[in-house]
Amino acid sequence: MKRLSTRTMLAGGLFLGTVGLVLLRVYDPASSGVFPPCPLHYLTGLYCPGCGSLRAIHQLLLGNLRDAWAMNPLTCLLLPFLIYGLASQALLRLRGRGLPQVFLPAASIRALCAVIVLFGILRNLPIHPFDLLAPGAMLRLW
Amino acid sequence: MFCPQCGASNADNAAVCAQCGRTLQAGAATPLPVTGTVIPPGTTVENYLVFAILTTVLCCLPAGIPAIVYSAQVNGKLLQGDLAGAQAAANNAKMWCWISLGLGLAWVGVVIVLMMFGVLSGLHH
Repeated sequence: MKRLSTRTMLAGGLFLGTVGLVLLRVYDPASSGVFPPCPLHYLTGLYCPGCGSLRAIHQLLLGNLRDAWAMNPLTCLLLPFLIYGLASQALLRLRGRGLPQVFLPAASIRALCAVIVLFGILRNLPIHPFDLLAPGAMLRLW
Repeated sequence: MFCPQCGASNADNAAVCAQCGRTLQAGAATPLPVTGTVIPPGTTVENYLVFAILTTVLCCLPAGIPAIVYSAQVNGKLLQGDLAGAQAAANNAKMWCWISLGLGLAWVGVVIVLMMFGVLSGLHH
């Protein structure tokens, strides 16, 4: 199979990403059926660490930082790093050199993994204040 | 030119290998800002951390977790100077990213089929 050229793949990724963002800007995942529900929540009723991410990005695109934070604080915190990482990846493939990066020791990546798993567990606990971590729960405070 | 790491054929002026991502041009790589341990320039191994986190958080599936764990292994082995081990861990991280993405996309497909059936039978609300 002939490999797709780097530029084709990047252009495809950029196109899909833009379509996704436009859809997310126009439709609220909380009230429209355009976006698929989280499989874990759909099948078990439990929240995964990523539950509320789409709703959070929708609110961010509308400029509502507070509502985005309420939907998924972890996604809000990770998003700047993910965007930087994706941009670096794209540049690496285009010009052979990415953006300046800090070399993360294995321990800190494992710690991040633990934070993600822990966040997933805590937001399912019916104990205050951890119940505030469930998607949208903080909205009831305000 | 052939990649010294995986043997894939690349354009002579390619900075990184299209197959495995290894830096091909001497001096093209940004040296890793690591204190204490010296990693020879041009021996970075992609750890797929960004993709691992993306598939974990956006695909809502446990398959992203092993991807992050392997991603951590890549950097750990790089620091120990174990390039082959780092590459092996990177391949595992990449595989789990694709499994996670594949499961996520499969789920989207299932949802679309369910919605179509719901619409067709008038059950969709």
